[in-house]
Amino acid sequence: MRISRAIASVVVTIMIAALVAGARPAAAADTIDPDADFKAFRDYYTERFPNVPLNDFVNGPYSMDAELRKQWEAIDDFPPYDFAIDRGKQMFATPFKNGKTYGDCFPDKGTGIRQNYPYFDDKSGEVITLELALNRCREANGEEPYSYVKDEMASLTAYMAFTSRGKPFDIKIPNDPRALAAYQKGEEYFYARRGQLNFSCASCHVQNPGNHIRTEVLAPALGIVAAMPIYRSEWSGMGTMSRRLVTCNSQVRGVPLKPQDELYRDVEYYLSYMSNGLPISGPGTRP
Amino acid sequence: MRMQICLAATCWLFCAGAAQAASTEADFKTALAAAVAAEQDAGALKNQWIPTEQALAAAKKAAAAGDFDAAVAQAKEAEALAKASIAQAKEQQTAWKAGVIR
Amino acid sequence: MRGRTAHGPALFVAAVLVLFAGARASAQALPGQTLAFDRGKGNCLTCHDIKGGDSPGNLGPPLADMKARFPDRKELRGIVFDETRRNPQTVMPPFGRNLILTDGEIEAIVDFLYTR
Repeated sequence: MRISRAIASVVVTIMIAALVAGARPAAAADTIDPDADFKAFRDYYTERFPNVPLNDFVNGPYSMDAELRKQWEAIDDFPPYDFAIDRGKQMFATPFKNGKTYGDCFPDKGTGIRQNYPYFDDKSGEVITLELALNRCREANGEEPYSYVKDEMASLTAYMAFTSRGKPFDIKIPNDPRALAAYQKGEEYFYARRGQLNFSCASCHVQNPGNHIRTEVLAPALGIVAAMPIYRSEWSGMGTMSRRLVTCNSQVRGVPLKPQDELYRDVEYYLSYMSNGLPISGPGTRP
Repeated sequence: MRMQICLAATCWLFCAGAAQAASTEADFKTALAAAVAAEQDAGALKNQWIPTEQALAAAKKAAAAGDFDAAVAQAKEAEALAKASIAQAKEQQTAWKAGVIR
Repeated sequence: MRGRTAHGPALFVAAVLVLFAGARASAQALPGQTLAFDRGKGNCLTCHDIKGGDSPGNLGPPLADMKARFPDRKELRGIVFDETRRNPQTVMPPFGRNLILTDGEIEAIVDFLYTR
């Protein structure tokens, strides 16, 4: 009797221990808590790079490498994205065939609003990026959508970013299970390894910011969206956030998703939320 | 007697070798179907690999040129790659959490 | 005379084996250094400094003193095959598991690494 009670108590103890051990990490990972994620994310970078001012993280590799920064400051007197800003400005001023303009599709006529994108649209239940909103604006006005990766789309977003420079990211996650689900899908996409090379976004931009892939300096994920769109020397031209994601996937030998695939929009939502409070710096230049 | 066995064995080895070496169009179609099915599964998981697509293209090209040995080999490579990408996607459905900044 | 006939089949077998070995070697063995530096194959320089290679990255440690650091060949081969088994958070691609390199190519690269 005494023995069986002893065994029972041992069994119960083991079961409780197992439950506690099993439940704790699962609970920590399964609860969606964007505020806690945000704090941990920012702390990770500011603790790892105590000499980088918070607002400088938006300058990507230049915030990590003094030599690279010097080269950047030298060319930034005549930035290679200027033509894109000018073209975007002109496109914004030119009415569609129906007489309406891009400005009619956006709050504040589309000026100084870049920091609010992407946002969660509670009517459609999906994440709306600036690129998606621009093409929807075109389609609503009877125009063909643009390619998401460069050219016209890069010019439009370059102009919109330029009018928003210095404004802090202000991404909101409404208390709506669909918004939280989109946020978590974005987080998962960011951390999940993919492609034959088995890299996640985080492999480079969390685990190795400031380190070199060949001669390229890897950017921190904190603030990485603030400079979009960018002129990349590697591309010999402008590219949007869509282009950056497609290129990253290809570089790890993964078949890219379609630009503005739901998962791409979700990961942009996640990353932009992580960058809340950091200033828009786009359009940017990158090697 | 021993000589006969030797001859028989040699003949068998040669025949088996020849059968293995010369793949038919039917072999290719079977191998391709398996590879395409696996790659579709990878697509459903949004985790296809570029080398899989390249191996599939190389398999079809070799088949079009009548080289069914190469075509079968490439199709099997594509299937193996697709299966590796599926394994990766399934593993990552939970493993991604281990990398999250906490 | 008897001796020679007795050696005949053995010599033949040996010759066949040499031929096969030769065929295999030429089919699979680009030299290890070529495989290690090729961007489509090992592409080791993207992350590792290796003597004799240009513009190395630094995500991984420099690859030097390999004999002293990895007296057990199996360990080094295992790292190239799939380092995530030992260290789940490594960013090193699992060259064997993900079919980036064949077993023969991994052996050739390991051979090369032991010269560094």
